[in-house]
Amino acid sequence: MNKKIVSGLAIAAAATLALGVVATSPAQAAAKTSVSLAFEGPLTGGDAQLGQDQIPGAIWAIALYNAKNPKVKVNLVKADSQCDGTVAANVAPGVAANKDIIGVIGTSCSGEARASFPAFKAAGLTMIAPSASAVSLTDPKAPDRGFPVFHRVVAHDGFQAPALARYAAKGVTSPKFYVIDDMTTYGGPLAKGTLPTAKKLGTVVGTDSVPKGTADYTSVASKVKASGATVVIYGGYTTDAAKLFKALRDGGYTGILASGDGTNTSDFPGLAGKAAEGVRLTAADVPFDSLLTKAQLADFTKVTGIKVPGLYSTTAYNATNIFLDCITKGALTRSAIQLCVTNGSWTGAGGETIKFDRYGDIIGGAPVGGYLVKNGVIVYDSVA
Amino acid sequence: MNFSVITSQFWSLALQGLSLGLIYALVSLGYTMVYGVLRLINFANSEVFMVGTFATLFIETHVLGYAINAPSLHGFKLIYTLFFAFVASMVACALLAILVELVAYRRLRARGANRLASLISAIGVSIFLLESMRIITISRPMTTPRLLDKWSFGTFHGANFRIDTMMAIIFPILIFIVLDQFVGRSRLGKSIRAVSMSEENSKLMGININRVITLTFCIGGLTTGAAAFLYTTVYENTVFNVGFSMGIAAFTAAVLGGIGNLRGAFFGGLALGLLEEFASAILGSQWKAVTVFTVLVVVLLFRPNGLFGEAVQQTRT
Repeated sequence: MNKKIVSGLAIAAAATLALGVVATSPAQAAAKTSVSLAFEGPLTGGDAQLGQDQIPGAIWAIALYNAKNPKVKVNLVKADSQCDGTVAANVAPGVAANKDIIGVIGTSCSGEARASFPAFKAAGLTMIAPSASAVSLTDPKAPDRGFPVFHRVVAHDGFQAPALARYAAKGVTSPKFYVIDDMTTYGGPLAKGTLPTAKKLGTVVGTDSVPKGTADYTSVASKVKASGATVVIYGGYTTDAAKLFKALRDGGYTGILASGDGTNTSDFPGLAGKAAEGVRLTAADVPFDSLLTKAQLADFTKVTGIKVPGLYSTTAYNATNIFLDCITKGALTRSAIQLCVTNGSWTGAGGETIKFDRYGDIIGGAPVGGYLVKNGVIVYDSVA
Repeated sequence: MNFSVITSQFWSLALQGLSLGLIYALVSLGYTMVYGVLRLINFANSEVFMVGTFATLFIETHVLGYAINAPSLHGFKLIYTLFFAFVASMVACALLAILVELVAYRRLRARGANRLASLISAIGVSIFLLESMRIITISRPMTTPRLLDKWSFGTFHGANFRIDTMMAIIFPILIFIVLDQFVGRSRLGKSIRAVSMSEENSKLMGININRVITLTFCIGGLTTGAAAFLYTTVYENTVFNVGFSMGIAAFTAAVLGGIGNLRGAFFGGLALGLLEEFASAILGSQWKAVTVFTVLVVVLLFRPNGLFGEAVQQTRT
């Protein structure tokens, strides 16, 4: 290669490096008057309700923050990854490339998180997930862990899975479990995680794995009916849960139907129709409206247009507030945000202490709630 | 592997396999009819199916005004509503199929374009329809109202003869018989067969080729529309990409039976439906696709033209 070209490239590289350093230096950061946070989750697609239920929590938290006229205003950037790892793998690099974004509220789904890790790790972009709950995301031995960028304000499925089995079998004498999963990063481990508790509580009469997006669940329904199961647990998301539960009820199954937080979205009763009645759902979340005063709820509705906050509004609100607190403390770069989130301690909307362990989980976990579908609406029942 | 399910659920699985397979068969007829006359795969047929499911949903909820949680209908009102939705879905799909032929095939054919150009333009139309529906529905799945209460005629060794299952079996059989007779006996059917055997000779015999090809697309659209109605009635949901997996299944059924062969498409669909149900039950649902395509490859190894033979001339029935 021509020596002039080589030296020219070296100068250009040095200049780029120097400019990059300047761009992220504290002095430059101090001059910022606005920064952005991204919300990454499903905003369209089959699982859109999951993200649509969560994003109002982030919008409201940012509105409250900006209303105080802070020195640095915060914008929210929406990134729609459709609860799909393939989509997330394309969306995340775009988010990472936007230098205004200093933190990501998300992702909603575990598969999205896993697919986003390469881009966010490379960019040093800190994530705080409101609902991505697969154990592997924070497992130090797992190859797909999100360390050091990934954090979550939701209890992982190591807590949810046993609670789901317990809640599903609540009040059932000698339960016979049939456990089905959707073969996703989230659904597979959640369903398998229920098995040890299910075996303690009763017997497991069958398991099956049906790929997400399957249209016809009649053969599964036949197997479940033939097995004599009294409790069916599904690890998967709303759209497929609705199809499966409809097929089970239409196939003559009369026992308990249960699923985790992937199904616990406000559109589930509408999609499943009559089959949704009595379905037992879990989520590591406290209903947001139960934590707000009437005036606060009115303001939430005014800002977001949502009358009743959906599932994981609370965790999205908590995740956003952690970033906002860090910004208030002067963390205006990605590296400063990461340092702040890793070492800080906060009080959540429910009064709980939020502090992350080395791999991004909340220290001490979080309680898992049990929810029931009654008259076409998901209502909080009890601790699962 | 769970072979015990064969003994305990044989009839139930067979019934479900029949209903699923016959829906496949109707879509498969759409592929095979077009292949018969053009010797090209109409890749837009999967999206014709998708539009049919939305047409059914639109008719039920927007034209007839039933809410998603509307109570089930009975008597004449039920028959009238279902018949209206059935016909509307078929007509919508037929019109769309004709439009596909005009846009993606006819103009290119008139200009003597390469056959591959038509194939690509059909894929283009398919993507256009898919993405348009994705934008319109913001990718959200939609559910249809349960207007047909799923009552049962009775059971036989665990098989539940539910009204929707029986509709999904009887309707396709009747449609196939009518189509088979139409292609075999009517003047227009003979024209279709003539064109499928030799376009040049058909021209010499005074057959209007364009008219026959349009008619073929129209028939394919009608059968696909019927399948869309039945699918929506049985599964009560649709989504912008519902046509993708249905298209793959129906195309597989057509190849399994022998593409270009009406009876091949019909029995290929039937075989595929049964195979999927039994493979899911015995091996687990995660092995369904693997089993289906393994069987397809094995069948093609021994019968490269499918179970009933490919030859276009087979369209003679």
